[in-house]
Amino acid sequence: MENFLKKINVIAWIENRYPLREFWYKHLTHYYAARNFNFWYYFGSFSLLVLLNQIVTGIWLAMEYTPTGEEAFNSVQHIMRDVHYGWLIRFMHTTGASAFFVVVYLHMYRALIYGSYKFPRELLWLIGMTIYITLLAEAFTGYVLPWGQMSYWGAEVITSFASAIPFIGDDIEVWLRGDYSISTVTLHRFFSLHVTAIPMVLLLLVFIHLVALHYVGSNNPDGIDIDHEHQTPDDVPFQPYYTIKDLVGAVVFLIVFFSVIFFMPAMGGLFLEAENFTPANPLQTPPEISPVWYMTPYYAILRAIPNKLLGLIAMASAIGLMFILPWLDRSRVRSIRYKGMLSKIAIVVFVISFIGLGYLGIHSVSPLRTTMARVFAIGYFAFFLLMPFYTRYEKTKPLPEHITK
Amino acid sequence: MKYFFIFLIFIFANVSLAQEEIPIALEKVQINLSDTQSLSRGAKFFATNCMVCHTLIYMRYNKIAEDAGVLYDKMPINVKTWPNGVKPPDLSLEASRRGSNWIYTYLHSFYIDKKRPNGVSNLLVPTTAMPGIPSIFQGQQIRVPIDQDKRIYLWKYQWYDLLALQTPGTMTPEQFDATMTDLVNFLTYASEPYKVQQERLGWWVIGFLLILFIFVYLLKREYWKDVERSRLS
Amino acid sequence: MTTNDEVDEERRCFLRRATATVGGIGLAAASIPFVSYWLPSADTEAAGAPVEVDLTPIKPAQQLTIVWRGKPIWVIRRTPEMLANLPKLNHLLRDPSSDVDQQPPYAKNLYRSIKPEFFVAIGICTHLGCIPTYRPDVGSVSPTWLGGFYCPCHGSLYDLAGRVFQGVPAPKNLEIPPYGYINDNRIIVGAHQAPAQTKTT
Repeated sequence: MENFLKKINVIAWIENRYPLREFWYKHLTHYYAARNFNFWYYFGSFSLLVLLNQIVTGIWLAMEYTPTGEEAFNSVQHIMRDVHYGWLIRFMHTTGASAFFVVVYLHMYRALIYGSYKFPRELLWLIGMTIYITLLAEAFTGYVLPWGQMSYWGAEVITSFASAIPFIGDDIEVWLRGDYSISTVTLHRFFSLHVTAIPMVLLLLVFIHLVALHYVGSNNPDGIDIDHEHQTPDDVPFQPYYTIKDLVGAVVFLIVFFSVIFFMPAMGGLFLEAENFTPANPLQTPPEISPVWYMTPYYAILRAIPNKLLGLIAMASAIGLMFILPWLDRSRVRSIRYKGMLSKIAIVVFVISFIGLGYLGIHSVSPLRTTMARVFAIGYFAFFLLMPFYTRYEKTKPLPEHITK
Repeated sequence: MKYFFIFLIFIFANVSLAQEEIPIALEKVQINLSDTQSLSRGAKFFATNCMVCHTLIYMRYNKIAEDAGVLYDKMPINVKTWPNGVKPPDLSLEASRRGSNWIYTYLHSFYIDKKRPNGVSNLLVPTTAMPGIPSIFQGQQIRVPIDQDKRIYLWKYQWYDLLALQTPGTMTPEQFDATMTDLVNFLTYASEPYKVQQERLGWWVIGFLLILFIFVYLLKREYWKDVERSRLS
Repeated sequence: MTTNDEVDEERRCFLRRATATVGGIGLAAASIPFVSYWLPSADTEAAGAPVEVDLTPIKPAQQLTIVWRGKPIWVIRRTPEMLANLPKLNHLLRDPSSDVDQQPPYAKNLYRSIKPEFFVAIGICTHLGCIPTYRPDVGSVSPTWLGGFYCPCHGSLYDLAGRVFQGVPAPKNLEIPPYGYINDNRIIVGAHQAPAQTKTT
């Protein structure tokens, strides 16, 4: 028996037919990354972890969920109350949705401060942005499924965006909904998109994002070039050093993640909104509606502009500007560490504006808030639109030869 | 920079203040979902006094109603017409939607208002369609004028700052508070029947992850000695 | 300080194994909610509660089919002739004395029932789950047929006590569900005896 096992050596058998070892070698043990990755470098692997969580818990939820207007709300309560550990699986999914955006925003912020979008990583950034847009679509379609008041009116508001398109807007709106208002037909198609089409696109995009990353190599907090294919004093092999380091990070992440799931799954109405505990009612709009927290910065921009079409254009360009970031930044250096004072101020203004807009988007409008939203919107757009100037003319610090601590 | 942040705090504080004319503080209710006796007292009270109008559709079989002897054909789920045409809301998820403190305060805040069709108003929902059922137990309350001096010191009013007992009800204030606590406790349970299991399991999971953390952290430190001592390259 | 440059392989190996073990335990524990999720949910379990059956409307030789847990349950009022035929078949059956555990102890007898007159069984063929047809008439399936059940899917045959014949694909006798008499005219299916409170169908 032992001889027989030795003879057919499973690994060797596969190795002759599939580049298993080559993959391991090229992407793990001989993929080199800078040795000074800090806190901000955890969020890429965290998003993979959350993606995995969303897929597994999502598959399980779909087993007991019913995507019809009549039964959707009831079936969610059935999962929460009657299915064994249904509440746990659902809270893992709802908390995972918010956690996804937390880690993706921090991952994007990392790219922003260390210039990870600059040459040669422009395409990597574009793929990442496409993932972000896909994720917004996935989150939106998923948010409709519990069929509470917020689900319903969120779907109503967002599909209404289409009606702002000149001439054919109203027809597109009806086409999107498959009915003259949001109905069980709309719910059913959003369910289909949420559980099949969008996740498949997402997985494909994540795959090519990683392929692109490993082709150009990871950036680092110093933003200097390192050789990701050879061992140098500047870098370490990904396996075992970063796999283990990410594992430590993952455990810490899970501690935070499960603390939310077990002790504050609604997160004071941020992750699960109070109004969504009422079944969808097409005849009554809740007193206050706002999107979930991760979409509110754009929502605040939309509301700050007193014109339907212009508001939508502003909102779309707020996201659109992020796509052309690699070509807006004209700095000689990548990392904020070596950029000048203007860039540092710009980042601070951007962060305050983004968080400020997010805060305002959650709350109802008032004249004061609208004014503030406009100020923050100007801050947001100024960060991008002035970038070609301040990055070009500011004085940068000299780059180090090697990776610093 | 410092002034900028003070300015921000000032603005945000103002924003949240400008909400309502008379801000009412929600009174904190002591919820204990492991107290099964309190839950069953609350369930009994609900079945005998609330279930005439309100449903708990996600509590299976309306078992509480059966246990308390409410006739099935009299249960609200089978009634089609309501006074004023307003169907009383289902309360299965009321505690998730409004919060336990809100329900507790709401049940305390009914007062006589002759201008309203049902003769009562509520501090939290002035146009409430619900008749003053709690007043039977609590007693009739009337609205008293706002003490303007207090306004300066208080962020928000408590319901008892604005209401005074006119005629006593069938319960003493202490009994009423205790009964409402039981009732809110039960409604909180009805909204989140998994809550006790959730929190108990939570401690186990977090405890396990902390142990796992020790091991992965030691493992990481051991391997990263290579990097610190420049063993590589 | 001399050991500084050397890798403590033993310590690494220990830590690797310890982490893998603790992590493995965690993964195994994490699978519990996902596995339990597939069990019948609390409302399904409640819907699978015992059901009561009124025996009075069943005429001699008539079959009543009710549903318990989504399965057909037969209640048949057997005539004295039917009962008299049962012992004659013993030599043709696989398990004439019901030795295989397909019935509660109180139904392990010649008639496979509590009272000989009423036969209660789960109407699912023990071969591949089809529902056999009730063929009470003598000679209706074959010239020597004394009455019983015939499965149209693969031709399995049972007598009127649900005992399987030899030479057919079905391996076991029909299953008898737990049941009991509440009084002379009512039985409860799904429990051995009537609980304090049950729902009436």
